[in-house]
Formats: sequence, C-alpha cells, structure tokens
Amino acid sequence: MDFKTKNEAGTLIVSVGGRLDTVTAPEYEKQIRALIDGGNSRFVVDFARLDYISSAGLRGLLVMAKLLNAKDGKVCFANVNGNVRSVFEMSGFNDLFKIENSVSEALATLA
Amino acid sequence: MIKVGHLSKSFAGTTVLADISTEIKKGEVIAIIGPSGTGKSTFLRCLNLLEQPSGGTIEIDGMDILDKKADIAKIRQKMNMVFQSFNLFSHLSVLDNLTLAPIRLKGMSTQDAQAKALELLRLVGLAEKADSYPDELSGGQKQRVAIARCLAMEPEIILFDEPTSALDPTMISEVLSVIRRLAKDGMTMAIVTHEMDFAKDVSNRVLYMDEGLIYEEGSPAQIFDNPQKEKTKAFINRIRSYHCRIGSPDYDLYAMNAEIEAFCEKQVLPKKTRDNLLLLVEELLQIYTPYLPAMAFEMTIAYSEKSGHLTLMCESAGGPFNPLDSGGLPDDFGLMIIKKLTESITYQFVDGKNRLELLMQKGPKNSPHLE
Ligand SMILES: Nc1ncnc2c1ncn2[C@@H]1O[C@H](COP(=O)(O)OP(=O)(O)OP(=O)(O)O)[C@@H](O)[C@H]1O
Ligand SMILES: [Mg+2]
Repeated sequence: MDFKTKNEAGTLIVSVGGRLDTVTAPEYEKQIRALIDGGNSRFVVDFARLDYISSAGLRGLLVMAKLLNAKDGKVCFANVNGNVRSVFEMSGFNDLFKIENSVSEALATLA
Repeated sequence: MIKVGHLSKSFAGTTVLADISTEIKKGEVIAIIGPSGTGKSTFLRCLNLLEQPSGGTIEIDGMDILDKKADIAKIRQKMNMVFQSFNLFSHLSVLDNLTLAPIRLKGMSTQDAQAKALELLRLVGLAEKADSYPDELSGGQKQRVAIARCLAMEPEIILFDEPTSALDPTMISEVLSVIRRLAKDGMTMAIVTHEMDFAKDVSNRVLYMDEGLIYEEGSPAQIFDNPQKEKTKAFINRIRSYHCRIGSPDYDLYAMNAEIEAFCEKQVLPKKTRDNLLLLVEELLQIYTPYLPAMAFEMTIAYSEKSGHLTLMCESAGGPFNPLDSGGLPDDFGLMIIKKLTESITYQFVDGKNRLELLMQKGPKNSPHLE
C-alpha cells in the first residue's frame, strides 16, 4: 500500500494505492489515526490507485469513519472502481458511506 | 521402430528402472511424465546409451543396440537427444555448432552442412543468429539452436529431456511451438516434460512412470482425464490443484498469493477468476486466524477443466467446529464476501476432521444491494 495526502481548502485528500488487505490495513489505520489526532476532520479517500481491498481493508475504513464520527468529522469516498467496487458491493459497504465518482464531486459534497 | 524389453537399471544396488517394456512406432510422439526421481531421465539416457542398462533389451529397427559390437555414434545419430541445459559449444558460433557433427560424423562437405544448417535455423526462426555465439542468445533461443543442431544429424527419433525446465516462463512457448511444429511434420519424439498442457496436446501416447515402471500408459485423454490407477490419479490431481498448510497466524499472505497466481496461470484462468480466488483465500484465512495455531489447517484449491469449477477445501483436525459459524470476527463483511464469491459451502465432520468445502461462483453473483 502507498498512502499520499493533499490538503485542499481544509479537506484532506487521501490517495491509497496498491493493496488494502490483512497485511496493510493496520498501517492505513495508523496513518489515519495520526491525521485525525493531528486535527484533520474532513477527508476524501481517493481509491483510483487501489487495486485490491479485502474485508480487512474495509474494517480499516470503518475505524476511520468511527473516529471521525466521534469528532464530528466527515468522510467521502471517490473513484471506487473495478475490484474495489465489487468488494464494496459484495459486502454491502456502499450503503454505509457517501461515495462520489470523482475527487472534485466528493469535495463538493463535503463543502 | 524402437522396442524396449524388460529394461532395468540400478545404481550401486539402488534400482531406478525395474522392468520397462514398450514400443515406439514411427511418427509417434510420446510424452513421459511422472514424479521427480522416478527414472524418466535415466530411461532416456539408457535409450541413448548415455547410461549402460543393467538388463533387458533395446532394439532399433530390429537391431540390438546393447550388442557389444553396436556402433554407438551411429545409434546416437539415429536417436538424438535434446537436454534441459542446451549443451551448446560456447566457443563455436551458432552455425558452427550446427555443422560440426554433420561434417565430422557424417562426412558432409562444409558447404552442404552450412546450407543445411541455415535451412534448419530458419525452421526454428533463428537464421539471423547464425554468426552469434551461444552466450549472446536468450535461453529460449539457445534451446531452439540445440533443437536445430539435433535436427542437423537427421535423426529418426528425438529424445527430449525437459527441454523447457531451465527456461524463464516467458521463453517456454517459443520452444514448445518449435516442438509442436516437428510433431506436425511427423517427427518421432519421446518427450519428458512437466508441462502438462503441452504433453496433453502434443502427444499421441502418454507414459506415466512410477515405481521404476511404466506404471500406466494411454492416450492423453485417458491419462489426463480418466486415469485408472491410484498413483496416476494422485499425480494428475496434484498438478490440477494447489495445496498448502497454514499452521501459524504469521502465515505469509503474499508468498501464498504468488503461488496461487502461478497456479491460476498454469490452469489459464481469467484474471477476474484469479482476483476472486485471491480474495476468497484471504477472507478464509482471516476467519481461521483467531484459531491458529490450535486449529492448523490444510487448504487445497482444485480446478476441474471439465466443469470449469474451482473448489477450495479447508481441512483441520480437532473436535467438530465450523469456523464460518463461529462469530469470531467483529463483523460480517468477510462472511458476506465469501458467500457472494461461492455457489455453495458445505461443512462436514468426517474421519475426525473438519472439512469445509467451497465451490466458487463461475461468474460474479449480482449484488442484491444493487437491485
Ligand atoms: N549417475 C547416477 N548415479 C547414481 N544415482 C543416479 C544417477 N543418475 C540418476 N540416479 C538416481 O536415479 C533416480 C532417478 O533419477 P532420474 O534423474 O532418472 O529421475 P527423473 O524421473 O528424471 O527425475 P526429475 O523429474 O527430477 O528429472 C534418482 O534417485 C537419482 O538420484
Ligand atoms: Mg529428469
């Protein structure tokens, strides 16, 4: 997994690439936790570069949502395509989150 | 053309070939398969007299080649061999590798030998490499040169000992296609190979070797799709399946993934099927992980070419316990993914073992959430 962030007018865009699985989900959680502890509360997660996600990855995203809820924060997902999309569908995960087609649409939703 | 009767071979008291009898007819392509160490190479080397058989008879066109007076050089011309490791002369150009034996052993003129060599290099697609040296060639090219060199002796039969097993996966097909072409042209060949798909589609007859014998033989369809004897069945099943044992929660997911990907590639499964299989395996591993190492398990993935189905079986010892019912995870995401990826899931407690068997969906199931 690789993890990149960019600040766009107070919203943090997190771009995850590679795999979000049993091996890498703990690292994702750790990075997100640090960002939220550092005072960030509005996030867009961009999945454009993510090739693979398993339920372990979904759990990481769920932890993120819970942490943000506790701080009145918000998260919106973007570019949920291919394998990632099918896993979201299989697990019913896409009913639980705000999902937009692109980063710019996601930013607009949070604004 | 070749008749082998009760051939045996021992090395310092260890019997490798116990009793081999078979006949190879002109134009036949024989695939020789079997587990490692069962004497496949030894068999070919005996045919070619690179090993002296301990007993039995080998006849070529009615001539006894084990006769002390037999002309070994002549026999090797008739029955030439291609090795796994190419065995080219590195100090000679490709062209000279091909002309050396015809000039020295067959008394061909240099000019004729070179003309013939170029023709053969064209046949294997390497005419432009005539002046190169072996070290300047890729593995696949070296093996094609080795085949051309073998053909230069105008053999009546070619013996191949795992001609592709020293090659990078990307180079295997170029060599196999040259051998396929020879088969089409009616060349008589005996090929030891681990490339089962190739063995299946290139050969007329398959010899399965085990226990120092030709344990079972038959048409490719008989041996690969409907083997009769126990060891043949086990061997064929093993090549159609992936097997591993997971004994600790520190299993290496990525190493397993790589092996499963290699398995999928071998079975020529589509990318989507492979992705789904990798996901299914990871989800199952997560469900088992809380119970490791106490509940170490064996996983077998098998592909049935006939039905196009992949089945995944997990077996573990201990008292009756179905990990899918256990609620060992904080949520149902994994279980939901597993259910969506499978057509059926059966749990049984048999012979003191927990057996979970999952039949994978052939196509992705539509998610009810979308409807
Ligand atoms: N020159 C030798 N001296 C002693 N033992 C030998 C010799 N050559 C082969 N063997 C033994 O004979 C047995 C069969 O070897 P062989 O190479 O014929 O098997 P194989 O079926 O070709 O295996 P693989 O699939 O691994 O190539 C092995 O146990 C090997 O150690
Ligand atoms: Mg061998």
